[in-house]
Amino acid sequence: MEDAVLSLSKEPLLSIENLRTYFYSRAKRAFVRSVDGASLAVARGETLGVVGESGSGKTVTAHSAAGLVTGSPGVIGGSIRFDSRNLLDGLERYVKVDERDGRVMAVEKDERGWREHAETLMRGVRGKEIAMIFQNPRAALNPYSTVGAQLVETIRLHTGAKGQREARERALHWLERVRIDSPRLRFDNFPFGMSGGMCQRAMIAMALCAEPSLLIADEPTTGLDATIQSRIVDLLARLKAETGITTLLISHDISVIQRLSDRVAVMYGGTVVETGRAADVLAPQAPARHPYTAGLLASIPSAETIRTKSYLQDIEGDVLDTIDVPRGCRFYGRCSRVTEAIRERCANLEPPLGEVAPGRRVRCWLHVKQETPA
Amino acid sequence: MTAMRMRRYVQAPGPVGEISELPLLQRAETLDRVYVGYGLLVVALVFASYLLGAFGWLPHDPQAMNVGLINAAPLTPGHPLGTDFLGRDLQSRLILGIQAYFLPGLLAVAISLVGGSVLGILAGYQGGWADTVVTYFDNLLDSFPRLVLILLVIAAFKPDIYYIMVVVGVTGMPVIANLIAGKIAFLRQKSFIEAAHALGLPARTVILKHILWYNCRALLVIQATLGMAEAILVETSLSYLGFGVQEPTPSWGNMVQAGANYFLQGNFWPSTAPALAILATILGFQLLGDGLNNILEGKRRR
Repeated sequence: MEDAVLSLSKEPLLSIENLRTYFYSRAKRAFVRSVDGASLAVARGETLGVVGESGSGKTVTAHSAAGLVTGSPGVIGGSIRFDSRNLLDGLERYVKVDERDGRVMAVEKDERGWREHAETLMRGVRGKEIAMIFQNPRAALNPYSTVGAQLVETIRLHTGAKGQREARERALHWLERVRIDSPRLRFDNFPFGMSGGMCQRAMIAMALCAEPSLLIADEPTTGLDATIQSRIVDLLARLKAETGITTLLISHDISVIQRLSDRVAVMYGGTVVETGRAADVLAPQAPARHPYTAGLLASIPSAETIRTKSYLQDIEGDVLDTIDVPRGCRFYGRCSRVTEAIRERCANLEPPLGEVAPGRRVRCWLHVKQETPA
Repeated sequence: MTAMRMRRYVQAPGPVGEISELPLLQRAETLDRVYVGYGLLVVALVFASYLLGAFGWLPHDPQAMNVGLINAAPLTPGHPLGTDFLGRDLQSRLILGIQAYFLPGLLAVAISLVGGSVLGILAGYQGGWADTVVTYFDNLLDSFPRLVLILLVIAAFKPDIYYIMVVVGVTGMPVIANLIAGKIAFLRQKSFIEAAHALGLPARTVILKHILWYNCRALLVIQATLGMAEAILVETSLSYLGFGVQEPTPSWGNMVQAGANYFLQGNFWPSTAPALAILATILGFQLLGDGLNNILEGKRRR
């Protein structure tokens, strides 16, 4: 069992261990292993940034943590600890996983029982303790109701606001806090009458008005104009400074992650391949780095590459097909740093997420010593 | 062989920019508004007449016979719409005839709206067995002519208009259920429904408020007007056939039937007046539903 509590100074608020969320593709008669043994932990008050290409399992991990996975079979194993509770407590009895040499071959799941039990575990948590903001904010607001009405509804649900008038006051207060200008006018606007950035601000207000302890921001800047993206990032940074809320930030935009996160987890093929302090993981020159992280960083333009007019590097090959997960390292097929000395291991044995420096773990045979001979 | 249905598309004469400058009366929006206006007028008239009948504020006693003045023409002094074959005042009987379908029709509409919504939510949200049940229920009702079902109920119980309207309501349920299930299936993929769940709103609130109230209310209003038109049609045709409201209680259907005996003798008016009333009313409800459909539901498509 890999321990996911990654030598944190503080006790984690959310810790996900060995999470597996699969979806069944009827057409291919195979499992899409969207999240396959991912482990991460977010300490109180910190922001954990999760990066990775599309299809690396970032969003599904976040949705699993919020209990929002709707596909089947969905979450089939692992543990999600939030605060002092286990959000998957006792759910294993609804799932029967048939595993053969480390690979899931068949899953039986009582989805109804799971859903009902999971809902009782999530009661009072989702929305109240764990809030979420989404990409494409305009679609995340109900187009048939005013922003104010939706905000008031959430406030009345989660806070002790007595009566419509007090809830309205609080809603206006929150619209001010997310810096929507002329909140009194915007209160009665429908989502289609507002810009994407303003919708996202309203969405953030709705997420934060219950004063949750964890905010999951799932690609909060995707679908917005570049200038608006930057404003939203500023807003998130400022709210973070004001409230000190613990944040799980999902993004494929490394610059967003860089500006907001304290620690970073890099995901690839449904699992975490590298974690550590943001400054260490995303530093231009870092020792003992996962080749995938190196590739990601080399593919974004920096002041350096612009000055020297050098080409950006892409990572060869395609995102891992999570239907047909290789036996060895998930990145083996695309890795450019395999040496002959470890090729055998890379191809056949999945590396553990090993500690290479205090608080820094990498899932790569280049940096991790093999514990037991294969 | 079926005839070919050719649809013609004509480019408007003049610069293309002027297409929107069609004369007021030729614009689709104008027509929709005329429909809705007419429909609302009919609804208002029907409702007002219902109240008149309910309180008994009628110009004449609708049952008082006057053998000296049978099958009188319209505009006879004291009887602006004439009298029937027993000399009863047609105007009073037409107003009272609304009692025959007004409340029963509302009952039918209420049954199909509530039942249809519940079935639709089950089928759309639950899927699985509920979806199957709704589909088979729909097929079952489709395979029976509605009139046969109604006659069965009449034979099994009694020719009571409320029994008939329960059947009308129940047979109207699958249409609404299918519409709502389709809407839910469409909406479930929208992220605002997911966001509502993520904000911690209970499933009940999401279904009833965010889906049914915000997104289906227009559809329900439209279905209600169409359902009312259907109920009126069923009531009048059954009363015409003698299965619905029985003489001497007036219903537009049995008034047409009673007057029909004298139709060929030249006294066409006693059956034409209620027939025109049926036509105008059903047309009103249908056009109201149609116009509302175009205005409320079509707006987003344009």
